[in-house]
Amino acid sequence: MLGESALAAQKEELRRELRLDRPVVVQYGEFLLGLAKGDLGTSFRSREPVLREILRRVPATLLLSVASMVFALLIAVPLGVLSAMRQHSPVDHLCGFLAMLGLSMPNFWLGPLLILIFSIGLGLFPVSGYGTAGHLVLPALTMGTGMAAILMRMLRSSLLEEIRQDYVRAACARGLSRRDAVLRHALANSLIPVLTVMGLQFGALLSGSIITETIFSWPGIGRLTVQAIEARDYPLVQGCILFIALCTVTVNLVTDLLYSRLDPRIRYE
Amino acid sequence: MGDVQNRFPYAVLLLAIAAASLPGCSSKPPIDDGMLVIAFPGAPSGIDPRLATDAYGTQILQMTHASLIRMDAAGNPVPDLAERWEERSPTEIVFHLREGLRFHDGKGLSSADVRYTFAWILDPANRSPHRATYGTIRAIDAPDPRTVIFHLSEPSAPFLAGMVRGIVPIGSRAAGYSPPIGAGPYRVDDFRQDSEIRLSRFDGYFGTPPAIERVVVKFLPDSNVRFLELAKGSVNFVLNGVDPDLIPAALENRNLVMEEAAGSNASYLGFNLRDPVLSEPLVRRAIACAIDRESIVRSLWKGHADLADSILAPCFWAHADGIPEVRFDPDAARRLLDSAGYRDPDGDGPKPRFRLTYKTSQNELRKQIAAVIQEQLHRVGIDLEVQSFEWGTFFSDIRKGNFQLYSLTWVNIQDPDIFYYAFHSGQVPPGGANRGGYRNPEVDRLVEKGRREPSRGKRKEIYRKVQLLLARDLPVFPLWISRNILVRDRRLEGFEITPGEDYTSVKEMTVRREKGAGR
Repeated sequence: MLGESALAAQKEELRRELRLDRPVVVQYGEFLLGLAKGDLGTSFRSREPVLREILRRVPATLLLSVASMVFALLIAVPLGVLSAMRQHSPVDHLCGFLAMLGLSMPNFWLGPLLILIFSIGLGLFPVSGYGTAGHLVLPALTMGTGMAAILMRMLRSSLLEEIRQDYVRAACARGLSRRDAVLRHALANSLIPVLTVMGLQFGALLSGSIITETIFSWPGIGRLTVQAIEARDYPLVQGCILFIALCTVTVNLVTDLLYSRLDPRIRYE
Repeated sequence: MGDVQNRFPYAVLLLAIAAASLPGCSSKPPIDDGMLVIAFPGAPSGIDPRLATDAYGTQILQMTHASLIRMDAAGNPVPDLAERWEERSPTEIVFHLREGLRFHDGKGLSSADVRYTFAWILDPANRSPHRATYGTIRAIDAPDPRTVIFHLSEPSAPFLAGMVRGIVPIGSRAAGYSPPIGAGPYRVDDFRQDSEIRLSRFDGYFGTPPAIERVVVKFLPDSNVRFLELAKGSVNFVLNGVDPDLIPAALENRNLVMEEAAGSNASYLGFNLRDPVLSEPLVRRAIACAIDRESIVRSLWKGHADLADSILAPCFWAHADGIPEVRFDPDAARRLLDSAGYRDPDGDGPKPRFRLTYKTSQNELRKQIAAVIQEQLHRVGIDLEVQSFEWGTFFSDIRKGNFQLYSLTWVNIQDPDIFYYAFHSGQVPPGGANRGGYRNPEVDRLVEKGRREPSRGKRKEIYRKVQLLLARDLPVFPLWISRNILVRDRRLEGFEITPGEDYTSVKEMTVRREKGAGR
């Protein structure tokens, strides 16, 4: 902060100013007190309040998370249902293969590959950056692919269990087509485990994907965290970690609350 | 019905993609609009000249903020805002500003703004990282709008180098991402933290107005992406940001050309002289002889580096000529180790003469270099353990003097006073950068004299002696100086690659118009 050539007296001064000369307990107490007032401290690097730094990055990360999630669902739900309804068919095997492919492609490889195809080859999207809808597509595809694979396999196995339940057989017996029985009855019931996984994944998405954000120069929370660590900007690191933890907890809470909406048998007193 | 519902989201997605890609399809490469798009490998933490310390911030400031003087490629001061300056006495330096200087908002720039800028840095409350640089300034006078007088507490030769500091208007607030305006050739239109900065030509600039109207600097941390952006044409200028491995691939695009020029940042191998083994000069020389720098430069740097004989680059004014070269000679290394009393216990067998640890960062190239050095030292019977750390931990260990061997690069050396900071016996950690704990009364005397000597000719002679002494004692072993590599669109002309990677000559760049330019 003071530069390489700072004098000892200047360092002492700064230490006093940052209250680093106080006992650790006092420093921690002050940190908690500040936290209660919404004050996360000031970034060493930019000298801006940490909270403002984080809030500035939230929209980018939120946008990317929602877009990846939507993309993942658009892929996962139809394919998951299809492979469950046609278990062991060639379609199911193809979906299984695609899921394996999606899961095993690392983002640092998939990202540049997508850029090569869609940006350089076809000239459809910008290579990297942030701003227009076009900038969003490739990072969302990169992040959504792996998630789509997980969700698809999850939905398939959970739907397979439901399909074998008596109520589905009963619905079929009442004259519903198999497709309607699955889509109207079994699908909703099979969503609970899927929702759990989705919740966990979304929490992870919100904390920012370091790799994807770096590849696409996406100004989100993940990059902010890495930069804070590289710059040894401790207040900012603290703030980022706290934000990530908060996101995970909040998303899990929301997931729990959604359970009761999806499944009336689950009630919270 | 179910089918329609199912298909609906896909239709929306496809529409969204189509809509999003429309501007992408129609837009032509920025070069066609005469726009310069530069890619940096990282983002500046801020672009306030009073606070910025990182290279990225400094490089942007060279385009946006003018300072009293500038340094040319050899490190000689040249006029910028000040048309001339004189030393009334060794402790009183007077700068005369040009006439009609303006800031980006059109208001005049006067000596009061200069005084304000430096007074702000010197105010302890502002915690400027540059405060120590100006420690010798006792008072600043602005007797009339075009004259600034600096009163120093003692003669200080590095003082002039410190005058390369962007001037800001009186009362500029220090706000991280809304930087204060300057008086440079380009004004800041939009600074998007961590993604890009947009600049446009400042028509009130005191020099010749730049030919290129708009400049965008994108911050692209991923080296593959920098290459891909270049390939697409959405970036058309990258200085030292394309991996040597990717350069041949980049040049397959016939719109791109490469230029190469000598650099100034010397990498060196640092020894801890407090270590019982490394305190022996013969051992240090043996290690230096055992390292085949030429093969490292050829294979790992792909030839884009020059061997160094000092931590100063050959183009720098204070660099000494005639420093004896350390030649790669493993036999000599073995003989030196024998005579230092470290005989190989089993000849060519597995037992080493002694073990050392070598610290480096996690940069892929640095790790490869470490592995090669490990192998080369192994051949003369020295067992080297390579430890690679995350940058912060690594640098903090080095600064504390907690190492046996390490390798680092001195960047952005402005003045030979670096020798005081890096080799004076009073500058051992934690206070200074004499990290290896080198002590030589003769060097101490010379570097103290050098920083007080106003005459450049005499300083050159003083630092020549210092460099010869360092080459004899080898407290650090200068390895190589990586070359500066520019990959640019062939239509962009007029940029001068300086050893220090300056962006000052962006204002002299032009875009060559040509018919039917395309890929």
